[in-house]
Amino acid sequence: MAYEFTEEDLQEIEKIKAKYPEVKAATLPVLWVAQNRFGHVEPDVQKLVADTLGLPQAHVHGVASFYTQYYKEKKGEHVLDVCTCLSCQLCGGYDILEHLENKLGIKAGETTEDGKFSIQEVECLGACGYAPMLQVTNDQYVNNLTPEKVDDLIETLKAGKEPEYDQIGMPLRKVK
Amino acid sequence: MPEVFIDGKRYEYEGDHQLLQFILDQGLEVPFFCYHPSMSIPANCRQCMVKVGQPVKDRESGEYELDENGDRVIRWFPKLQTSCNIKVADGMVVHTQETDELVERAQKDTLEFILANHPLDCPICDQAGECPLQIQTYKYGPEGSRFEVKKVHKPKRVQLGPRVILDAERCINCTRCVRFTDEISETHQLTIVSRGDKNYPTTAPGTEFDDNYSLNTVDICPVGALTSADFRFKARVWEMNQTPSIDITNGKGTNIDLWTRDNLVLRITPRFNEDVNDHWMPDEGREAYRVFNENRVSKPAQNLDGEQVKSSWNNALLTLAEKIEEHDGKEVLFVGSPHASVEENYVLMSVANLLGAKNPVFTPHIEEGYGDGFLLTDDQAPNTNGCRALGLDELSAADLKKEITGAKMVVLLNDQLVDRNVVSAKDIETPFTTVFATNHSETSKVADLVIPITTAAEHAASYVNVDNRAQRTVAAKETKYTNRRLDIEMSEGRLDRYGTSFDNWVTEDNKVDCMPFWNFTSQLADRLGLDLSYDTGRDVMNEISEKVPAFKGVSYSEMDANSGIVLEETSDKTVKS
Ligand code: SF4
Ligand code: FES
Ligand code: FES
Repeated sequence: MAYEFTEEDLQEIEKIKAKYPEVKAATLPVLWVAQNRFGHVEPDVQKLVADTLGLPQAHVHGVASFYTQYYKEKKGEHVLDVCTCLSCQLCGGYDILEHLENKLGIKAGETTEDGKFSIQEVECLGACGYAPMLQVTNDQYVNNLTPEKVDDLIETLKAGKEPEYDQIGMPLRKVK
Repeated sequence: MPEVFIDGKRYEYEGDHQLLQFILDQGLEVPFFCYHPSMSIPANCRQCMVKVGQPVKDRESGEYELDENGDRVIRWFPKLQTSCNIKVADGMVVHTQETDELVERAQKDTLEFILANHPLDCPICDQAGECPLQIQTYKYGPEGSRFEVKKVHKPKRVQLGPRVILDAERCINCTRCVRFTDEISETHQLTIVSRGDKNYPTTAPGTEFDDNYSLNTVDICPVGALTSADFRFKARVWEMNQTPSIDITNGKGTNIDLWTRDNLVLRITPRFNEDVNDHWMPDEGREAYRVFNENRVSKPAQNLDGEQVKSSWNNALLTLAEKIEEHDGKEVLFVGSPHASVEENYVLMSVANLLGAKNPVFTPHIEEGYGDGFLLTDDQAPNTNGCRALGLDELSAADLKKEITGAKMVVLLNDQLVDRNVVSAKDIETPFTTVFATNHSETSKVADLVIPITTAAEHAASYVNVDNRAQRTVAAKETKYTNRRLDIEMSEGRLDRYGTSFDNWVTEDNKVDCMPFWNFTSQLADRLGLDLSYDTGRDVMNEISEKVPAFKGVSYSEMDANSGIVLEETSDKTVKS
């Protein structure tokens, strides 16, 4: 499939480029522009980013693959990033992951058939003080998880509601 | 002069130096993986740790502060430093693993980390024997590992491109290969993907690593992660002999090493020459090992009633001598070759002159637009400038064709004129054509007489590259008539095995029945009563340097000492011997 940026995206990309002395530095924010537009950064999108910035495709691929926040394939509507790094692991991160997997009937790295949920196993998200935790689609953190809390979360999301949790803003990411 | 103290010894220096390189230049050692002198320095392997300090100076007097023993007070860097990316500074005091236990310990622990997920499959790894990881682990590494958990698994046997194969588990993520495509070949084809213990180098999805210089990454990979698709599993490093030589596949004169075993060239790797190719060579040049091993003309052949029949050397010699005697010198056209060495062309020129024939001619082998400004050149031959400097008459392809069709007898030095479309097979068939050839070709096929001669891998001879640099080869494999014991220049491999049942240079079939051009020509001259006799390429070069002004001062020893000699441009290019 051929992906294209809109005129508006291209203007934003120009603005981003103007901020840095070298175009290479624009890789991360422009990948965000792409992910916001297409919902993922599949290889073809990575190529679009590379071509738009005049950077090697391999470089953009390397950057995209470094971060779990960039989706290198199409994901479900809600992406649940379960932290299994040290602190979360010690506080039961794997149990939470297992619970979630059983609940949704998929494994980490997979997406439910209805396209609603994807699970990813991720490294430390910097919220060790609230372990175990997970993050919803690069957005809300859901902290101090218990199986009940996870069940709640799924129901809320299924109902199309915003989970009521703290929201931490991230630059350049579209906050709904 | 600024000074630096390494392990208690004082060294003076001038200019700018990276500490690691400076240490290596003194013949000392510090283990390292990611550093490469021709590329940027990421300091990511952390193996080259040393302890570094600077003497304290009194601000007012500018004098070094001294302790009660009268020694300089040293302010040590709070942590160990990576020596690869630190600059040598005046008064600097350095302790390597030789004199500091902490450094020794740090290096050992770094290696333990590097090896945490390394498969340690040296017995089946091609890199074993020339692997910095293996060598440095033996020297500086821990005896065992404290990691008891399962190792991380990563992709294996990944065909990154047509010529390079990746085993991601062996990779230590030094990024040398990535930096090579970014900084040296500039194709930017590789990147490191993923992170932490899962990362490894690869190409962008849907692309392949088909860089014209891709095999250099196999050379610089400090582990066995990148291996050559072609050379993989062919031979152990320690079974081969390594002989310095020159790339003959184009005009650059890239310095190379030929790796031989049992009289076969098994692989070709670049040899450092700052002025020519630095540490690199094009993939194409590595393919040339086939030229040395395969499709060789072995034993002379003569065309009898339209069919080439193998002939004895004696018959070949007599036939050629008779034919030459039958013709007037003026009727014989001698054709030199940019694909042959300076020595061979010179000897051809000498014979032509002694017989009163016209000065030998040649035509360059140029493919416009083939070069890339780096190590590939438009010139497809290694010695075009050598022919010019000797004073052969340079003709266009069309003019050479005219000369050949007009001649009664042609003597052609190793140049595949039919294959490269200078002349047609018909053109060669008309006169009585003798071809001196290393390999079978469309050209040798139609010759009346084919005489096998040695390749650059079987004789010592010189080639003058596109920048007028004369460089030479050394015999790396035996012919039927040479013996690595007698040619003192040839590397013999393991002396303790020579002639024993462990000697692996035994297959008679791998020795080609051919002769250096100058040896055959000496026999021919003897037969014809000409005053000409050469034993080795060295003899020929000695005479050339005396007789041809362009080669004044050129000798094998000078070329060896200076990694080649740049010839002075001489205005008079038509000097005859
Ligand atoms: S493949 Fe080799 S050269 Fe490339 S990063 Fe890994 S260890 Fe370094
Ligand atoms: S370990 Fe899970 S947030 Fe840090
Ligand atoms: S060589 Fe210095 S850190 Fe790798």
